[in-house]
Amino acid sequence: MAMKPEEALRAIAAARGDALCVPTMTTAPAWRTLAPDDQSVGCVGFMGGASSLGLGLALARPDRRVLVFDGDGSLLMQLGSLATVAGAAPRNLVHFLFKNGVYHTSGAQEIPGGGGVDFVQMAKGAGYRAAYAITDVAELQRRLPSLLREEGPILVELHTGLADKTPMTDRGGVPFAEQVERLRGRLIAS
Amino acid sequence: MPESIPAPLIIDTLKDTFREARASLAAEGARPRHDHLGWILSVPDTHQKSVLAALDKERTLRVLTCSTEDEANAIAAGLWMGGEPFALMIQHAGLYASVNTLRGVAMDGRVPIFYMIGLLQREKDKEPRESRHSMVRYCEPLLDLFGVPHARLEGPDDVRFIPEYYRLAQKRRGPAAVLVGLETA
Repeated sequence: MAMKPEEALRAIAAARGDALCVPTMTTAPAWRTLAPDDQSVGCVGFMGGASSLGLGLALARPDRRVLVFDGDGSLLMQLGSLATVAGAAPRNLVHFLFKNGVYHTSGAQEIPGGGGVDFVQMAKGAGYRAAYAITDVAELQRRLPSLLREEGPILVELHTGLADKTPMTDRGGVPFAEQVERLRGRLIAS
Repeated sequence: MPESIPAPLIIDTLKDTFREARASLAAEGARPRHDHLGWILSVPDTHQKSVLAALDKERTLRVLTCSTEDEANAIAAGLWMGGEPFALMIQHAGLYASVNTLRGVAMDGRVPIFYMIGLLQREKDKEPRESRHSMVRYCEPLLDLFGVPHARLEGPDDVRFIPEYYRLAQKRRGPAAVLVGLETA
């Protein structure tokens, strides 16, 4: 059975240390609850941009680990970003891909190719240092310590079900501009 | 009549612009973490190809070639948060392709993105708004529609607009653009 995205995020929150995090779409509401800190910035309003946003952070701050919580539908919108990330080769970037096979936020329409799209092969083909698929939360918990130390960029495809909340059912949260300002303030000062 | 601008002049101006930006960042308390002056986020533009070729030999400016302008905008936001100077070097067609990211990142996100936009196929003897090519004709009206301040580089003297519009982007916490009128030399 596919893991709940909230379970995966909970495991990552417990293991992340001081990593900067970039949630998007259906990972965003849960992440706000699990990690209500100012070390994260959500990709809001420009679907598909999470990995690029994370790449910019990773390049600017090579001393910090950057974790991206992408979606399969989101990544398909800017699939070329796999090659851009691979070309830039940030050693500190971990690209988690929450794969549920649908556009959950807009009503769970199947993504092109459905659940059969193999993002692990795509990431490897683009030039990521490594890419893995993980199907249950126990395996994720077991592997997280090494995944978070591994030289990036790596992609971790997480096979998940649907999140309890989407950005449409839970519209709270800090506006993107404020998130940007807050994280920038933290990073400039540290 | 507009004139082509030599690539070394543009690169030297960008270097000076980034030096100034680094000094501002230092004044904000940012610690230097890199040896280079700043980043050029490029989706290769035919109009600025001599600049891109010259940048290949530069060590003080880091060029990151992006698959799309959408990516370049989002990467810029990450660099901004991390305290790194940058400029986007794109083409008018790429501006059209990425208007949602311009809106979402530079405008709504209040990220000071400075764009250098090549007006490929701009006729030397025509104002861009009178061009027979729609991709030339609509560029300035689109920027006006989104309220993006812009200036045109029509000759070597106009490189002064590069630091001016870079500073303007920082000051207004949003996008600002210079348009490269003729193919760079």
